[in-house]
Amino acid sequence: MTTTPSTTAHEAVTIEIGGMAIALRTNDPSFGRLIEDRYAGFVGTSPGPRVEFDIDLYESSQSSPADDDLKVKIEAGEWLLQRGDFRARWNPGTSRGQIRQSRSPYAIDCVLRIVHTLVLARQGGFLVHAASAIRGGKAFLFSGVSGAGKTTISRLAPPDATLLTDEISYVRREGNQYVACGTPFAGELARVGENQSAPLSALFLLEKGLHNSIEPMGATEAVQRLLRNVLFFADDPELVELVFQAVCEFASLVPIRRLIFVPDQRVWDIIR
Amino acid sequence: MAEKYIARSSAIAARLLGDEMMVMSTADSTFFTLNEVASVIWQAADGLTPLSEIVAAKICREFDVDQEQALRGAERFVEELSQHGILLVSDKPLMDSSLSLVSR
Repeated sequence: MTTTPSTTAHEAVTIEIGGMAIALRTNDPSFGRLIEDRYAGFVGTSPGPRVEFDIDLYESSQSSPADDDLKVKIEAGEWLLQRGDFRARWNPGTSRGQIRQSRSPYAIDCVLRIVHTLVLARQGGFLVHAASAIRGGKAFLFSGVSGAGKTTISRLAPPDATLLTDEISYVRREGNQYVACGTPFAGELARVGENQSAPLSALFLLEKGLHNSIEPMGATEAVQRLLRNVLFFADDPELVELVFQAVCEFASLVPIRRLIFVPDQRVWDIIR
Repeated sequence: MAEKYIARSSAIAARLLGDEMMVMSTADSTFFTLNEVASVIWQAADGLTPLSEIVAAKICREFDVDQEQALRGAERFVEELSQHGILLVSDKPLMDSSLSLVSR
């Protein structure tokens, strides 16, 4: 038996998405490497991370299925995030939190998405079910429900387009404009987006059709459809209002159009 | 027939875009789009002005419609929104209701 005080090395991996750094600290080096691999391209070196999480792993046999209902609520100033495969707490005041989870990377993915939505909501931004790409220095979003064509439009992107994501887009407000940022949240393409950003030029709501065309859309329809695609998890009226107002602001500043398209590369000829 | 007084619930988010008012319940995220006439009633719902007076002063005058017909339409609208808890309805003035803010 040793009486020497010991310490456990806790390795931190910092993930930077949309300019916001989240440090994930684990005492399991192999899990640290798993995180680094999964978020390759988004692993940052910021000296002062904005949010820090300590991860406590448990054997997956102790967990409930990941498709258990997700619950996100605030209690005594601390956010509580819970699903079958993880439980997390995050204090926005101290920017620190803990995650108790199985070794599944999906739990981390979910926590990252939630924390970003909570932070973005107070800054006028949001995460949205949308593919996004940069072309000619301008960013374009392609939003729609599952099956609307996010992966298809991403797959058809020309070589001079930089794909930011084929699944979850990151929209940040900067003054009177919006910026789209790359995310590691991949969809069917299973390809992590590029860690780049550009001013947002337009948002297209996707509809598959028999021809390629861009059609105008009324403001209220645009807001209603965009709201359906915005990621939001918290059971919190104040944040619901913030997201609603953020989407309305977005709709008043960024052109929102209906993009009817056939799965053919020519669709990109009309995206300007 | 008893007067009705209407007030906007504080558990909503609302925004005027063009001529249409968008209203969302922050409790269950139910979303409504109000047309021009409904928006006028919504904005006049101060808890103190009787519905019949809102209809007479705002609807009949601005939209040139018959008072009885307009009041029936307004009552149906009020009934529907009150069922979703985003308009409060009372037969007395709603003095203490915390009115919601409407962004433009």
